[in-house]
Amino acid sequence: MKTKHLSVLVLFVLLSLNLAGCWNSRELNELAIVSGIGIDRVMDTGKLRVTFQVVNPSATTTTQGASTNQSPISIYTVNDRTVFGALRRASKQATRQLFFAHAQLLVIGESLAEGGMKDVLDIFERSHELRLNTTVLVSRDTDAESILKVLLPQESVPSIGLGKKAENTSKVWGETPQVSVFETIKEITGGGGFTISGVRMLGNVEEGQKKASLEQTKAETSILISGQAVFNKGKLMNWIDGPEARGAQWILDKIYETNLNLDSGDQAKAIAVNVVFSKTKIKVEMRDGLPIFHIRINEEGNLNETQSAVNLSQNHEIRKLEAEMEKLTKKEVQEAFQAAQKAECDYFNLGNEFKRVNPAEWKKVEKDWNQIFAKGTLELQVHAFIRATGMRVTPLKAPE
Amino acid sequence: MAAQTKEKKQSQTADSNISSPLSGNLEDDLQHIRQGLGNSMDLIIRHFKMINADPQVAVIYMEGLTDKEFVDDFISHAMSFQSVSEEGRKLSTSQEVFHYIKEKALTPGKSQSLTDRSGLFEALLSGNTLVLVEGVPEALSGDTSGGEVRPVSEAGTQVSIRGSKESFTETISVNISLVRRRIKNPDLWVEPMKLGAVTQTNVAIMYIHGIADEDVLKKLKEKLKEIRVDSILESGYIEQLIEGTVYTPFPTLYNTERPDSVAGNLLDGRIAVFVDGTPFVLIAPATFFMFFHTVEDYYQRFDISTLIRLLRFLCFLISMFGPAIFVAALNFHQEMIPTPLLINLASQREGVPFPAFVEALMMEVTFEIIREAGIRLPSPIGQTVSIIGGLVLGQAAVQAGIVSPAMVIVVSLTGISSFTTPAFNMALSVRFLRFVIVIVAAFMGLYGIAILALMLVAHLCSLRSLGVPYMSPLGPFDPQAQKDTLIRSPIHFMKIRPRLADKSIARKKADKDRQGNQA
Repeated sequence: MKTKHLSVLVLFVLLSLNLAGCWNSRELNELAIVSGIGIDRVMDTGKLRVTFQVVNPSATTTTQGASTNQSPISIYTVNDRTVFGALRRASKQATRQLFFAHAQLLVIGESLAEGGMKDVLDIFERSHELRLNTTVLVSRDTDAESILKVLLPQESVPSIGLGKKAENTSKVWGETPQVSVFETIKEITGGGGFTISGVRMLGNVEEGQKKASLEQTKAETSILISGQAVFNKGKLMNWIDGPEARGAQWILDKIYETNLNLDSGDQAKAIAVNVVFSKTKIKVEMRDGLPIFHIRINEEGNLNETQSAVNLSQNHEIRKLEAEMEKLTKKEVQEAFQAAQKAECDYFNLGNEFKRVNPAEWKKVEKDWNQIFAKGTLELQVHAFIRATGMRVTPLKAPE
Repeated sequence: MAAQTKEKKQSQTADSNISSPLSGNLEDDLQHIRQGLGNSMDLIIRHFKMINADPQVAVIYMEGLTDKEFVDDFISHAMSFQSVSEEGRKLSTSQEVFHYIKEKALTPGKSQSLTDRSGLFEALLSGNTLVLVEGVPEALSGDTSGGEVRPVSEAGTQVSIRGSKESFTETISVNISLVRRRIKNPDLWVEPMKLGAVTQTNVAIMYIHGIADEDVLKKLKEKLKEIRVDSILESGYIEQLIEGTVYTPFPTLYNTERPDSVAGNLLDGRIAVFVDGTPFVLIAPATFFMFFHTVEDYYQRFDISTLIRLLRFLCFLISMFGPAIFVAALNFHQEMIPTPLLINLASQREGVPFPAFVEALMMEVTFEIIREAGIRLPSPIGQTVSIIGGLVLGQAAVQAGIVSPAMVIVVSLTGISSFTTPAFNMALSVRFLRFVIVIVAAFMGLYGIAILALMLVAHLCSLRSLGVPYMSPLGPFDPQAQKDTLIRSPIHFMKIRPRLADKSIARKKADKDRQGNQA
């Protein structure tokens, strides 16, 4: 009797085990690993043009003695009203089931960005097939499809290469941010402005998608990270570049490392200082209905190159250079701030800081914050410090 | 007279084990012995006639079980007494001769007189030499056991870099002495018994009185007494007969061929079971973690030992779950694998005709075949097998595109990991479980692995070895014993003996002495 009960129990347990669990067993060689997704708007129809960059495993450099002449990636392009529709419609073209969990890159076409891109991001959070840590880039002067088509040297999978480019340049040059889908969604729903790195193509697609273009030392077509796309209310508003862009990164406290070329006496921009540490602190206060933004930046750098005959063993020379650093940083930050005020878009999220310290006051100004922001004043303080001057004291000097 | 013949008939026809007293008639008794042993050729009976005295004397022994020189010496002693001693020449009656031999001439260390016929066989087969005198219904039995045995040699299966090179032999008395030499303490008690209705194998229980747990000892003795089988040819028979749970993949008794391991375990309060005819000594009760400890852990410094012990546990997990996790990740959880690795794996699996599960199973079975073939073959050929199997098969299979290189790596890593488990019987159970886990992983992914692992843990916690929880000291948790479970703390930290059953804390003797001195 007891054993009968037990066996029934065991049977139930075993049956329930089958109900749960991972029913969707898929072999690795039945999957098409999607490395990058590009979304453009098809003009006039309101449809989306979704581009998939799929890895061709047997042609990647990881294979021992890869001898196939195939390209390491294949591109599938599908038109549909929804992104998911496109994902599934792609089955008509792809030999294997598309697998999105490893998508490294999402390229938003400029045309789509201008019209607002919040609608296409819903699926990234909703579907379990997609991931939120995918890097987002906005194509500049071209469409997302072309960006995904171009092969890159070194990295056999271009999407991975582009993701690394975005990461590297944001870490060592600091002009552009690396933004993930998750952050983008957060910013869009937060209501404020935000920026995303742009990506630009030099050359033409036809050459760039050929494997032969990689057979020369300088690739025929190249892709580079270029500027920041400024979004206001989820729509692409304008592009910012150069010092303006870096200034924005400074306000956002996203400078990890960058380079400043300093003036020294008679020579302009002759001394390179590698900024290795930077911390930005922001305080917002309201005075007479207008905000005052106290921004305090602490930066620290190493002098890495000098082309000017400056005596680095002298303390006051160093102090002078530090003052120069502060001046340059201030200039960039002010430029970025003024540009944002001119555009009437607070893409530094300074409003958020104000909301945090004074939620009651924020309620009143929330509605037309961008206008109020545009009238605010900037109180900028920069403190620079040169930590080291390298392995040589005096600059090179030719005998006279 | 009639009664005597009747008795004789009975003894001839009936089972020789039925006890009957010796008759005193030499020819009769010898006939009984011959018949009892089926006229076996190794039964040697030598007759002597005294010079002065009447009675016939017979010396009986088994060739091969006895030390030849010992027996010859004994005979020459016994027979030459008449010429050398005054006393000897005066002997005339049977009784006088018998007593003289018993008192004076018998040199062997152990001797006793037997009056029962059944006892004769036992004595003979244990290597004793019997002396029968015409007209005396009594037999003298002297211990002359010896003969060819394997000498003490280096351990073949449980090798260590540092530590004793001795290992047990097939002779129980030698084995017991090897342990006694290591623990010179009167509390080291040995209890003999004979098991196996046909084989009459000598078995001995060894424990340290006062340290070994009384309950465990009682339980072990009861279980040994309950054994009813014809033969005990190896300690494995006893292991299987006394283990509490038969249907478990895990071994619940430990075996070793190292005397230092036995000594160490005795000092921890465990009990050793010696079986004649095998160098493998059983140790009970066994806990799960024992199987991952080696004697060398205590000979090396604690930091090294701790790291190596942790490495062994890691290897245990790899050898158990390695291929299963690989198959689960490949089939169900591709998103878990880092992108570059996934692309790498995908490019390897391009063109492999089998599903990952079949591939894994194929490689595992091949590996088992190579291993089994290597064990059964003589050692020079065994190496050839591993070369053919490992190198040629593995390399060729990858080049032919039948299996992916990554799978070969996983399977060989698993195989090598399984060799790090010091106890072979634990490694065997992992070898078997691995297949079960791979199958579950192929059908249910990591979820299945987790469920099965939970079931295994529950099962392990339910096991007992002679009443001691198998997973102790983790479950039930004993904080003191953690010093010597997963890690091996410095020796001077381990002042308390491991508790096998729930008993009060027992300080080690040295520690008690030291505390006594301070007080």
